[in-house]
Amino acid sequence: MEYIIANFIQIDLSSALQVVLLGFIGGVLSGFIGSGGAFFMTPGMMNLGINGVVAVASNITHKFGKAMIGSHKHGKAGNVDKKLAAFLLITSVIGIQVAVAINSFLFKGGGDSHGASQGAGANLYISLVFAVILSAVALSMLKDVLGRSGAKGGGDSGPSRKIVDLLARINLPPVIYFKVADVRVSLWILLPIGIATGYLAGTIGVGGFIGVPAMIYVLGVPTAVAAGTELYLAMFMGAYGALSYSFQGFVDLRLVLLLYLGSLVGIYLGVYGVKVVNEKYIRIVTSLIILLCVISRVIAIPIYLRQLGFISMNPDLDVYFNLTSKTFLLGSGIIGCLLILLNVIRAYRQRRRIQKTLRVVRPAAR
Amino acid sequence: MPIVLISSPPHGMGRVLARNLADKTGWPFFSRDQLVEEAHKQGIRLSRLETSIVKSQVKNESLALEKEIFLSFLTDMICKKAVHGNLVYSGRAAHLIMPGISHLIRVGVNTPREIRIQNVVKELNLSPEKALDYLNTLNQDIRRWVKYVHREEYNDPSYFDLFLNLETMSLDNASKLLNKAAEFSDFKPSPESVERLEDLHLAARARLHLARNKETAGLHLGVRARDKVVTVTYMPRQEAAAASISRVMESLEGCRESLCTMAETNILYIQEAFDPSSDHFNRVTQLAKRWGAAVELLRLVPKQETDLSIIEPEKEASGREATAYTGGVEDDGPETPADDGGLTRTLDELIAMGRSAGGFTVAGDKKEVVDAVKEKNNYSLVILGDLFSTKGHSAATRLTREMGLSIHEKFKVPVISISELASEFLFGKQQALKLLISILVTVGLYSAVFQFQRPILDFMGGDLHHQWKWTASICVALFVPLVAYAYGTVAGLILKLIDID
Repeated sequence: MEYIIANFIQIDLSSALQVVLLGFIGGVLSGFIGSGGAFFMTPGMMNLGINGVVAVASNITHKFGKAMIGSHKHGKAGNVDKKLAAFLLITSVIGIQVAVAINSFLFKGGGDSHGASQGAGANLYISLVFAVILSAVALSMLKDVLGRSGAKGGGDSGPSRKIVDLLARINLPPVIYFKVADVRVSLWILLPIGIATGYLAGTIGVGGFIGVPAMIYVLGVPTAVAAGTELYLAMFMGAYGALSYSFQGFVDLRLVLLLYLGSLVGIYLGVYGVKVVNEKYIRIVTSLIILLCVISRVIAIPIYLRQLGFISMNPDLDVYFNLTSKTFLLGSGIIGCLLILLNVIRAYRQRRRIQKTLRVVRPAAR
Repeated sequence: MPIVLISSPPHGMGRVLARNLADKTGWPFFSRDQLVEEAHKQGIRLSRLETSIVKSQVKNESLALEKEIFLSFLTDMICKKAVHGNLVYSGRAAHLIMPGISHLIRVGVNTPREIRIQNVVKELNLSPEKALDYLNTLNQDIRRWVKYVHREEYNDPSYFDLFLNLETMSLDNASKLLNKAAEFSDFKPSPESVERLEDLHLAARARLHLARNKETAGLHLGVRARDKVVTVTYMPRQEAAAASISRVMESLEGCRESLCTMAETNILYIQEAFDPSSDHFNRVTQLAKRWGAAVELLRLVPKQETDLSIIEPEKEASGREATAYTGGVEDDGPETPADDGGLTRTLDELIAMGRSAGGFTVAGDKKEVVDAVKEKNNYSLVILGDLFSTKGHSAATRLTREMGLSIHEKFKVPVISISELASEFLFGKQQALKLLISILVTVGLYSAVFQFQRPILDFMGGDLHHQWKWTASICVALFVPLVAYAYGTVAGLILKLIDID
């Protein structure tokens, strides 16, 4: 790989187009489900030979602007609860600090006589938390939406309110009212949720995957508002990340611009999808994407177990495990994106038909 | 003065419970069996309708007409049987009949499967296995029926007021409970709910009256009644029958006046407050003129502003409509008009334009609006205006969109917001200019970065960066949002241009 300066590689037309495509798929996912761009774009760029830190830095810088546009669009559609975002941002900082402390501790104690690379312990811990938490989220989401549609034959049933109703009974003051989401939540419920969300975001790096379902199922926030609020939160996190990484000299502006070429179109399509696609479908697609990501992580676990000496396995097999893991990861993004686009196109065509009807001039009734 | 509608699974003791309640209270009893008998006497081929709905995949226009007439017949029969306003009716999906009337008690019954199987074994002389198969098939058929006739899911709990479990409660106690429930203020008739029921009955009688007359028998008509004024709308292809409709309607008893209008399309315009001089209203009427459509106004009064949770047929609008249909003869009086959110003035304007399809008020929320639309459901377009104004802009936008999605999903009627109505056809000069400027800025920024890659990357992460770390951070913080905004505007406007917005 040819480098122009320090960490920044030469980008040819083919690589540039691939980065644009990565941005597009990430944009569709994040516009539609409020998160999911980073898990797809960062490894995708690394596959192109871009240094991992540069990929992360460029992605987070791009996320800053993208989240700004996305949350603005969501805001116009009435899907952003700024007050809720502020509460979650403040409380999640505590959780992030806890997660960083645990990760650092495990990272330092990673290497040993079994040939474990530095950080294998942390990798295993992160993968296990990722698999357990996200499986639970995706399966309960799927069970909820499929169970309900089975019981009532589809329709526009909302997400399960079991937890919301249970927590509503606690009603411990102070109870805060979030106007846009139209929910009342006790601070004592919000606090652990914020901390837990922050902890998981800090541990597995996908806050949206936790934050969005937590807002829907625990706080009772409408799905579209959960997605919009999460994107609003991401804007602040992205700004912080962009400043930090650019100070350290890891942001490749060319990558940021190429990612935008795809992602800003994608995010518009994703947000349009939230407007026109049935809420049930949004939840099915979200849970499907999460499940594929979980499978991708589970496939990588034997590598870490071997590195830590818990199992004996030929190290040459690592490359196959890695490849399969990446395939599932990319597959989840591509399949999710295609499912979303399919419905967006369907809704678009339906709307065009209506508009054609609207333009018909007929003789006035008498 | 209650009307109790009992709905139970097939062979599920609903009729027995209804009979038990009727015996205890002295209220008249009416069951589906009697309904079928009455229908047969009046020439309504219920069994054919049932077979067509349950067995046939094809739902044609004549089936829709038969369904419409059956629902009118059902409404008429229940209202007629409700002597002094009392009735206990047990029948298929009884709880879904006449939605939006608050003093009807809608009761669901759960009966253990074993008891239902025993009932079938006893009544039809089948083996328990065959009885189970029979019940399963019947359940499926009934679900299909309910879905087509009432456009609802059979077991949706939101349509029940009470649900009784006969596995844990005796019939006697269930009857006592219902008797007691009838005394609750929630189920007491209010002048508005009684008036609403009377209007529903009048509309049903009018529909049957038209169906029974040779001249108007096969016509697809929209019939509704407000304050004893019946409005019949017909399709343009049926224009020749307009005179017949008027003639037939003359002989309908209990009708103060009947209006017969051709509505190629009906537009429902939902808003909290109307203003006939507003741009929004102007847009709607322009569309109505282009379509040759009639516009019906639905004023939504949010729940917190009123104690009512039912469809309210217009305290103020009923008074208003009474004056609207007097043929120009107005009463003198010192009455000052109630604040009806501009509904009266806007209706007057529509009447003057010959575009009025009436107006009414719904107190409540999404569900109440859906109920109101469901009752008529003859719209070609629903326009959502300014709604949920007390909720703040963001929440109002979201709630309006959710209401639109509910109406669209339920009735497959196109729904658009008033702002979409204004913007979706036009890509004005202002947008074109903005697009042009954004394209120029975007091209400029991208060209600069890719033309001068080496110095820029040096500044971002090379030797130059070590001297200008803070400047580089600040530049990124300023440059990135600028690119995002410029290119985001280009992407957004181009997508808007092709109607993805």
